[in-house]
Amino acid sequence: MIAELVLATLFGLLLLGIHRKVIARIQRRPGPPVWQEILHAAKFSFKTTWVPATASRALFIGIVLVAIGIWTAAFFVMMTGGSLLVIFGIYMLHKIVEHAFGLSSGSPYGKFGGVRSVISAASEIPLFVSVAAIALFTRSLTLSDIIAWQQVHGPLLIIAFPAAIAMYLVLLSKMPFGPFSIVEAKELVSGYKTEHFGVWRAGLEVCNGLKTTVLLATFLLLFVGQLPIWWMVIGMVIITVSLSFTCAITPMLSPFDSVTIQSLFTGLMLVYAGIVFLGVAA
Amino acid sequence: MSSIGGVPFYILEFGDELVYFTPYTITLFLLALVFTVLVILSRPERQVDIAFGGDAYTTKQILKDEMRFRRFMSIACGLASMGAMVTGDIFNFTLFTAMVGITNVGIVAAVKSPHVQNAAYQYGLVALSATVPLFGAAAVYAASTGSLSMIELARGTLPAVPIIAKALLVIGVVGEGMAPFYAAKAEMFRAPGAPYVIMCSLSSLLIFLRVVEVVMLG
Repeated sequence: MIAELVLATLFGLLLLGIHRKVIARIQRRPGPPVWQEILHAAKFSFKTTWVPATASRALFIGIVLVAIGIWTAAFFVMMTGGSLLVIFGIYMLHKIVEHAFGLSSGSPYGKFGGVRSVISAASEIPLFVSVAAIALFTRSLTLSDIIAWQQVHGPLLIIAFPAAIAMYLVLLSKMPFGPFSIVEAKELVSGYKTEHFGVWRAGLEVCNGLKTTVLLATFLLLFVGQLPIWWMVIGMVIITVSLSFTCAITPMLSPFDSVTIQSLFTGLMLVYAGIVFLGVAA
Repeated sequence: MSSIGGVPFYILEFGDELVYFTPYTITLFLLALVFTVLVILSRPERQVDIAFGGDAYTTKQILKDEMRFRRFMSIACGLASMGAMVTGDIFNFTLFTAMVGITNVGIVAAVKSPHVQNAAYQYGLVALSATVPLFGAAAVYAASTGSLSMIELARGTLPAVPIIAKALLVIGVVGEGMAPFYAAKAEMFRAPGAPYVIMCSLSSLLIFLRVVEVVMLG
């Protein structure tokens, strides 16, 4: 499992590198090489590391370990076909991790990044509505059961298309340089991660790589089903490129607009889940 | 239960009360535990404020008495969250949720800032009001199914839980600590004392994650 964990982290970082490259090419810039995020993680591992004098020391360091720990757990659950609720619970707890990253340093930039992270929690609610829709169709929230259900009834991408759209929106909200990336907007320097340098930043990069792999792989498993490994890799690259196109051509929204649009999607998803519920009940 | 939060690893019975650990509840429990330990070990950060229109900046200090009180409240909040994560009883869940709401108010009400105290006061009113649907939900669960045990509800042998009971439970939880009543209170989340403020947002989120599982039972 350790080898798979390392490969998943490196692949996630590679996907983030592809994301940056695609955005740059659409905007007619050369952009960094696709392995730049892997180099970043390696580079930060050997940089000078310190804890700011104003920081809450234990929290500042501990939260990096928590970030890596929760996504390692999510990866393990995904690989063993465990409960979908655990993966999405961890996804939501990532908000708390961002909040703690931001507040622990004492920096005003980090603080506002963390506060934005909490107020944009609206982006997570469509996720749970899409989970509810999946549960209504498949009668289970265990990943292995959902995969087995799709082998009999066909992919949920077709059967529960609005739920797939909602989860795609959730993926978009977690991609850097996207319309909903208000937690690391440039007016906040790097937002919640501004003060985490050196080894702490390398840990954050590892967490981001793992998170990207877990979320994209979960999306494919949930809405397409079990695929051979190479098709999984190709599928994840295709989703990343499509997200990059959206990020490249969409300006970053203001915090108010970002939360409003996500709340509107939540409303639409609630209506969809209600229709599915009534259909199933009938 | 096995199709929602995974197959239970262990069920601990205290008479008719019980605690159970599924992969889902144990994940949430461990997170509450880790953050409670972080609260115990951490000292608050010194928030930096930049003076508008100049190069000057100031740092905020938290006094020892204030720190002790907020740390106590945060630990109590962590313990209540841990209880809510693993309990297998609907009434105990509502009780722990109400306790989380009270401790959340305590964590921020000790901050010596009128903006933060105003936010805490308003949140306190909402949290108090939310206890009515919260405990009302437990009463409807008991009246309609004859049991408050989540294990019994998960077996599917009891009468179906009315939608109104589930709706009241969700409304109660939302009122105790979720958006829009709470997360929108940015004044509370940007108060100094990171380890304690984090416990506010963490406990609210954990309770929300648990209620998602609870309403799917029965």
